Formats: sequence, structure tokens, C-alpha cells
Amino acid sequence: MNRRGSYYRYLNRLGWLCVAPAMILYCLFMLYPILSSLYYVTRKWRGMSNTFVGLGNFARMANDNIFQLSLGHNFIFMFVQIPLMIFLALILAVILNQGIKRMRGAFRVVFFLPCVTSLVAYSVLFRILLQSNGLLNNLLLNAHLIANPIGWLNNTFWAKVTIILALTWRWTGYNMVFFLVGLQSIDTEIYEAAEVDGASKMRQFFRITLPLLLPVILFSAVTSTNGTMQLFDEPNILTWEGGPANATMTAALYIYRQAFVLNSDYGYATALSYVVVLISGAFAFAQMRLLGGRDK
Amino acid sequence: MKKGLLSLFVLIIAVSLALVVVDSCAQKPKPSKVTVWCWDPNFNGFSMKQAAALYNKAHPEVTIDIVDIPQDIDAKIEAGLQSGGSGLPDVALFQDFEIEKFIQNYPKAFVDLKAAGVDYSKFAQYKVGPMTSGNSVYGIPFDTGSTGFFLRTDMLKAAGLNPDDYQKDLTWADIIKLGETVKAKTKKALIAYDSTSFDFLRIMVQSTGTQFFNKDGSLNLRTPAMQKSLAILKELNDKGLLYLAEGWNNWVSALNNGDSAGFMNALWMIGTLKSKPDNAGKWMVIPTPLLDGVPGAANASNNGGSSWYVFDSSKNKKIAIDFLKSTWASSDPAALDFYNTILKGAGAMGTYLPSRNGSNYTAPDEFFYKSQPVFKDFSTWMEKVPVLMYTPNYMTMRDAVRNATNLLFQGKIKSADDAIAAAEAEYKQTASK
Repeated sequence: MNRRGSYYRYLNRLGWLCVAPAMILYCLFMLYPILSSLYYVTRKWRGMSNTFVGLGNFARMANDNIFQLSLGHNFIFMFVQIPLMIFLALILAVILNQGIKRMRGAFRVVFFLPCVTSLVAYSVLFRILLQSNGLLNNLLLNAHLIANPIGWLNNTFWAKVTIILALTWRWTGYNMVFFLVGLQSIDTEIYEAAEVDGASKMRQFFRITLPLLLPVILFSAVTSTNGTMQLFDEPNILTWEGGPANATMTAALYIYRQAFVLNSDYGYATALSYVVVLISGAFAFAQMRLLGGRDK
Repeated sequence: MKKGLLSLFVLIIAVSLALVVVDSCAQKPKPSKVTVWCWDPNFNGFSMKQAAALYNKAHPEVTIDIVDIPQDIDAKIEAGLQSGGSGLPDVALFQDFEIEKFIQNYPKAFVDLKAAGVDYSKFAQYKVGPMTSGNSVYGIPFDTGSTGFFLRTDMLKAAGLNPDDYQKDLTWADIIKLGETVKAKTKKALIAYDSTSFDFLRIMVQSTGTQFFNKDGSLNLRTPAMQKSLAILKELNDKGLLYLAEGWNNWVSALNNGDSAGFMNALWMIGTLKSKPDNAGKWMVIPTPLLDGVPGAANASNNGGSSWYVFDSSKNKKIAIDFLKSTWASSDPAALDFYNTILKGAGAMGTYLPSRNGSNYTAPDEFFYKSQPVFKDFSTWMEKVPVLMYTPNYMTMRDAVRNATNLLFQGKIKSADDAIAAAEAEYKQTASK
């Protein structure tokens, strides 16, 4: 009994020792910054000057239209781009799963490649393709689809379209792979039974494929929502500093600019990031409830 | 045996910790090494390398390590300053428009070089303004951003014009007339304009000596210079005289590929133009157009420019100061010759006034139309540049004005006055209080 106890104590100690490096790093680089942000959020902190302002940073935020506008852009991208992307990914996954028999692996690689390319590299490339004298405009002009070049990067409306298209290009393949795995895990016997019952392909898709794939779709939606809330690289590089005229400014980019580009306003940037964390948290919570609800 | 495993584990950790300690001791910088951060190996990096070579002739024991930081140099320096100087170099290059932010936010970050004996009366005064705080002056001025209007003479000829007729002081009304002729005859826009940049408007407004801020640091956009500049920009855009480029790279390729018949910027563009040797003999530079009717207007302006600063946290402060003083701020013939070298080698025109007698300053430049002595011209125009005031909120103002200009071009804002109001509104929201 006693020997068993000391053995468990030993195991316990070894266990703690093994997780200690990860714990120490976590405390140093996650927990400590999070806790210290509670302090900084109440400060007007610029360079070496650091004074207490209480809720002043939040009061300033209430009058900051540019931040509200940036959050609005996050939502626009979220509500337009995520459904579009999931729809496309679903179609691609079904086609790859059923329609195409040969070269399936090659297609999968081609669709998956965009999301492993560097964010900066693809943003720079898209920038060149989308210039007013870029490849895309030239193609459209030569095909006589448009009379004047489209301001993909210069026009406040088209710049938003550009961001949505770029995000869709980058992430559709990634989500498609999840759907593909989901599709392959659906038992073929179910389809055979449906076939026997005389259900059309369309009906099979809506009554069998879609419901059984729902958990995967929800998972994709959750991760994409999170990603869109943190959207940074594309508006910073592709449409350049959230341009034109803040038309693609996002919350994360605005926080970065307040802290590191404009006037080193670390306290205010911290307060802004609190709002983003709260919103992301609320989304994640809602979606987890949605996901969890299906398991029960 | 289990105990043995545990002690082995502890031993491994202890040994690796000890190795880290030994390693960090070994990496301590040697006392005779000066590290410099800058961002363009063909321009400021090249210039600093020449300065290092000059200094090493007298002080071969000092190693000067010039590090190219192409991106986010400000964020790196901020992080270093926040941590009390760790990871910072001894010397760094700062944009003139950003230094006031650093001096104000980090009052003890830089060495007072006036106290260290630098004679600032020998530098162009407009460079000294932003680096001064109270009685202290913190930097060594590097280059000038003296501006001019660059024109492609072959396109002017194609439009049936004689380039020599335009080699003089012009007003913006003349430029618009010229643009209309060029557009009618060659279908090309007169000016390549980078719509992500604030430079064009800045050059126009600063040609009148108008500041973007008042003395107390508050915003000063409701000025005749701003109103007139924005109105002219709108007219240029509405008449199709601007080739709108999206960002720097697009803009540079527009210049070099002849998408427009000209552009307006500072002399540091010369290196970029020369990177396309096919265009030799085609370019000419005329004075910055005049904002006539606005008080203080001149045919000269400034865009950009940067300066060297020594960090107070540097362990090799004395050597670093001596290095800068005996190269960049010395009227020794060898130092003046160094200025002459970087002008030819990198197109970097220093702002140390005694250096302006160098042979390369007056030499004809065969790359330009009729071998125009461009450096002589830019150096003459530099004398007219007023002292500029940037304040810590310069970047915030820059973004706000650039965005308003953008909306003006798109027709979402109708007039210059509305654009100013929009810029003021955005500044009010984003500027730190």
C-alpha cells in the first residue's frame, strides 16, 4: 500500500516535471501577457510615459468611428466570404469524391496548395495580378467583358471584393479536404439503401450527405470565423494598409497600426484587442453550443 | 532505477542551462565594434559603408557592422527601447518625419550630439529642426529630399513640344496645360501618381512652407496651401492627367516603362531611374511647380530624408560618436571627398553644407537630357526648403489626408474643403490624445 503510494507520488512528480517546460513557457508567453494586459488596458502608455486613465481607453473607443468601421468590415468578410467558401468547398468535395475517378490525388494537391503558400507571398502576387494594368484587368478588357479597368485595389467597393476573392482562393481547398474526409467516412450502404428506395442524387445529397456532414461544416465555420476575426495580412499587403481610404481596414490591422505604426499607443491598442477577444469569444461560444447540441 | 532516470533528466537540464550561460558569455560584443541599422543597401547602407571605410583608414581596430533591416525597423527599435535597450544597435537611421515621435516618447533614448561637440551650423537648417528638443540635438543629418518635376523629353517631343521650353520655373497652371497637350497628342497621362502614398500632396504643400501642424501640435489642415493643392490634384485627376498606380512597385514600373510622361519626387529617385539604362538621355528635371497665389510659395520642396542617431544604451557610445563626427560632420578634405563619393555612387546628397563644393555636385550627368547637371540643380533648390515640423502624430495625419484624397479622386468627396473636413474627422478619431 505504502509502496504503491510512493510510486504514484513519483509518477506524479515525473509528470509535472515533464509538463514543466511547456507550463513555464505558457506562463511566460501567454499567461503573463494576458494578466499584464489587465494593467495596461487602464493606462495611457506611450513610450516611456505611462499614466493611469481608468476606462479612458474604452471611452475613446466609443467615439472611434474608424475602429467601428474596421469591426464592420470583419463582419462583412465573415458573412459574405465564409458561406461562399463553404459552398464552393462542398461542391468541390462532392465532385472529387464522386465525379472524378482518376487523378483524384493530384486535384486534391492542387486545391490544397493555396493554403500552404506564404500569406505575404500570395498577397504580393495577387497585388501584381490585380493592378489596374495587371493580368486580370487585361484579360477582362481583351475579352470585352469590361470597358474600363476595374479598380480592384483602388476602389473602395472592389477592394472589399478583392479581399473576399483572395480569402476564398486561399481557404476553399483547405476546407474541402475536411469535407472530403467527412464524405469518405459516410457509409456507402446508406446511399445504396437510398438508391433502392428510389431517391434521386439531389435528394440523397440534401437528405443524407448534408446532415451527416453538418458537424464538419460547423467545425469549418468555427475555425473560419476565428480566422476572419483576426484577418490581418491580406488587408495590410494586398490592399495596402487597409486601403483604399480604410475600405478594407480590419480590427486586427487597426490594433497593429495604433500600437506600432501611428503613435505607439499600446494602452489603447490593448483595449481594442479586448473588444476583439470578447467578440471572438462570443462567436466561439455560440458555435460550440451549436456543435455540442448536435452530439446530445 | 527510476531515481536514476530522474537524476539523468535533471543533469541534462543542468548541462544545457550551463551551455546556454557559457554561450551567451562568449557572444558578448567586443568593445571596438559599432553596429549600424539602416534599410537600403544600395542607398543609405552603401553610404554608411563608405563612411566606415573612411573611418577604418585611421582606426583599423574598429569594426563597423552595417545591418540591413528591410522591414519593420521601427517596430524592432520600439521593442528594444521598451526593454531598456537590449537588442538595439549602437547607431540607427531614422526617417526625419518619424524621429519626433521617438524623441518625445523616449526622452532618454538618444545621445545628445550637440553636447558631444557637433557643429550644427554647418548642416542644412531644415534637417536640424526635427532632431532638436530644447537645447539638445540628437542626430547627424544624412540626405536631402530636395524635389523636382521629372519629364520624359522623348514624349514631349512626340507631343510636338520642345523640352527646352519647359526647363524653367513653372506654375501648376502651366503643368495642367502641358498635361492636356501631352494627353491629346500621345494619349498618355502626364504624371504617374502612387495612390497609396502621401508624397505628392506633401511636396505641394511644403513648397509653400506651410506646416501640417501648429506650434502647439494641433492639426493645421485648413490652409490655403492645402486647399489649392487638393483642388489642383482633383483637376489633374478629373482631366485624366494622372496615371494612378497602386503602390510603390507599380509606380516605379510605370515610370521606367513610360506609362506616363513624368512624375514629381525627390532626387533620391535618380538611382531608380538609372536602373533602366534604356532611358538614358530621355529624362530631364525641372523645378517643383509653383503653387501661385499661396503666400510663401516657391519652386522648391522636400520629400523624405533621414538621419543617423546614437542610442544612449550603446556600450560603444564614445567610438560610435567619434565615428559619426569624423566622417559625416567633418570638414576634413577626406570626409568631404566621401560625400562626393556617395553622391556619385548612390545618388545620396548629404546636407553637410561644406561638402557641396565636391566635383560630382557640378558634374554633367549623361543619363539626363542634354547631360543636365542634376545634382547642381537639386542642391540649389535645397537652399529654399523651409524648416519642417512633423510632431509625433505625423503618421496619423498622413493616413487621414491620404484617405481623404483617395475619396476625392473616386468622387465620393466632392470638393477640397470637404476632403479637408474628412481628413480632420478621421484624425480626430485615430490620433492619440
